[in-house]
Amino acid sequence: MNDMTKIERALEMNDMKISAKNVQVYYGDTHAIKDVSVEIEDKTVTAFIGPSGCGKSTFLRCLNRMNDTIDICRVEGDILLDGEDIYDKRVDPVQLRAKVGMVFQKPNPFPKSIYDNIAYGPRIHGLARNKAELDEIVEKSLRRGAIWDEVKDRLHAPGTGLSGGQQQRLCIARAVATEPEVLLMDEPCSALDPIATAQVEELIDELRQSYSVVIVTHSMQQAARVSQKTAFFHLGNLVEYDDTTKIFTNPEDPRTESYITGRIG
Amino acid sequence: MSAFWLFVIILALAALGFILGRSRAISSVQGDRRLLHSLPNYYGFNVAMLAFVPAVLVLGAWVIIQPMMISSQVSTHIPAALYEDAGQLNLIMSDVKRVADGLDVAVAQGLMSAEGASQLNTETTDVRALLGEVGVALGSDVDPSVLNAAQEMRSKTTSGNLFMTIVVLIVAAAGFVAAMLKTRGDFRARNAVEGGVKALLIAAASIAILTTIGIVLSLIFNTITFFGMFPASDFLFGLTWSPEGRGGSEHLGILPLLWGTIYISIVALLVAVPIGLFAAVYLSEYASRATRAFAKPLLEVLAGIPTIVYGLFALTVVGPLLVNFFGADGLGWMQGARSVMTAGLVMGIMLIPFVSSLSDDIINAVPQAMRDGSYGLGATQSETVRQVVLPAALPGIVGAILLAASRAIGETMIVVMGAGAAARLDLNPFEAMTTVTAKIVSQLTGDSDFASPEALVAFALGMTLFLLTLGLNVLALYIVRKYREQYE
Repeated sequence: MNDMTKIERALEMNDMKISAKNVQVYYGDTHAIKDVSVEIEDKTVTAFIGPSGCGKSTFLRCLNRMNDTIDICRVEGDILLDGEDIYDKRVDPVQLRAKVGMVFQKPNPFPKSIYDNIAYGPRIHGLARNKAELDEIVEKSLRRGAIWDEVKDRLHAPGTGLSGGQQQRLCIARAVATEPEVLLMDEPCSALDPIATAQVEELIDELRQSYSVVIVTHSMQQAARVSQKTAFFHLGNLVEYDDTTKIFTNPEDPRTESYITGRIG
Repeated sequence: MSAFWLFVIILALAALGFILGRSRAISSVQGDRRLLHSLPNYYGFNVAMLAFVPAVLVLGAWVIIQPMMISSQVSTHIPAALYEDAGQLNLIMSDVKRVADGLDVAVAQGLMSAEGASQLNTETTDVRALLGEVGVALGSDVDPSVLNAAQEMRSKTTSGNLFMTIVVLIVAAAGFVAAMLKTRGDFRARNAVEGGVKALLIAAASIAILTTIGIVLSLIFNTITFFGMFPASDFLFGLTWSPEGRGGSEHLGILPLLWGTIYISIVALLVAVPIGLFAAVYLSEYASRATRAFAKPLLEVLAGIPTIVYGLFALTVVGPLLVNFFGADGLGWMQGARSVMTAGLVMGIMLIPFVSSLSDDIINAVPQAMRDGSYGLGATQSETVRQVVLPAALPGIVGAILLAASRAIGETMIVVMGAGAAARLDLNPFEAMTTVTAKIVSQLTGDSDFASPEALVAFALGMTLFLLTLGLNVLALYIVRKYREQYE
């Protein structure tokens, strides 16, 4: 690949953040993801929907190489982040995960204080020169996680003592603290009540200002509410990928229509 | 009738009760099992249980209490002129018991009639020679009062046994009949048996607890006796340990022993904790499934080696090896093969599997979500282990270490063989020292009088050890409770 094409492509995909081409994932002998190609835009919320076991979480975990921690998992195809192949041998998965943050299905605060939970990433990556800067990062992250007002008086209380919704917002704030470029969210609201869900959704919408957000969800209403682009997965295939409004009002594939109208899945 | 045959009879009665109870239950509903409240076997078990349990309890209590009561009654008939204190009375009473047993044997062998045995007289018969014939050797000629006491003991035992047989059989029969009367279709036999099972479980738990309490009480009372003979302050703060001091000037200061115990334990933990912990981290976080399946059982084999073998290893391998480096030919710090270092190193090796196996389980119990969260933030594996997994597992790991410390403090054989027997207050880890446990062994082996302070000091030492390990265990529990993280 010569320099010309590189520049050309960079211009062409000005606001493309991640581009996946012909991705195949195998768990041992099981072919979990079949030939999926997706272009994920910057400063956009992209939702992955589909029935359980369709591979949307697996695909999400490919985007920051979390699947590396599973021994039997094998990934083929190209996934480019800003035009760089993230499965290239020269890419350090640890560095990659700092750029592509992740929020999990179950809130998983570390057994540390709220402050230390947030400061964990910045400390590892050396983002703060001194205590004052670290304090600033922590406050900023907690504010962006929309939880600052609730915890500002007990920053040194354990993070595990918060309620479920607070814990999940703490985890989002923790992911935001490392200044990622992309934020992956794997069913972030499945363990939350409707009020906490609403808070998290509001937060996702705010995060769109600075990040590219990819969210896996089982709730089609949620996908419709928070995302601009939606991808529908079925049995390991990417069935349809388009603007959210189009998917939910005028889907092209009959399988998509069946799913969103509740006939399959 | 002897207690054994009585037991067999009760057992037979219970078996009979099972069969009869079962068939009575079935016949009470004209053979239609669906009308029974419980399965037929439960009715059988209920009858067997009521026939067996109360009778056996009475039997057991009787067998234990009767000899004690008879012996205390008989001992009041021993003339006070024969003994001066309780110890001598005990010796006489054991003579009485031997004579009584000897008479039993003689009657059983047909040397004399039961009547003849009760009318035996020291003036007309040489009782010692007579009992010698049936294989019961006595140390001296039998005193007339001892013979009388023995005869009294025999007659009381005979009547007591008869009485016991009657009472036990009545209890068994009463239980049997009561249970049989209750056996009808609507009797809730299942619940009754369930209650019996619960009582059995409670009994097992109480035996364990009561035994512990008994041991502690015996430690406490003997310790109090010891402090009656030897000043507590000299024991607790004495800097010298020399039990066989000349001219009654014996020193029983615990500090040199306590220091030896703590010093050796510290050396052992310094070996065991880092190695065990790192091994646990490797096994649970880095090792592949195959390596783990192979290495973990292998490491646990270390825990199965008897401590005497470790002691042998200390004495024959580690000690000489250390002498090569630190002895007269090397650095000159070490006099002989036995030293704190020798025992500490070997004890540390012994403790590795304790620390590693427990820590490994605890680290594995840290939820995968913690690790995912850390990896998802761009942390490396060692950052994740150091900053997330280990802090989450810390309370459990501290508990494991304190458990290992209790083991180290209570360890005896390795110390006896590896550290020597010299009680010494010294900082040089290449000197021979000894521990509380090793000294308890040496105080009680040998032929010292059990009522002397030299022997009783063992209880005080044991009490100290007990308090030390109890304290460590309480501390471990406290830490685990206080810092335990609640995972959903």
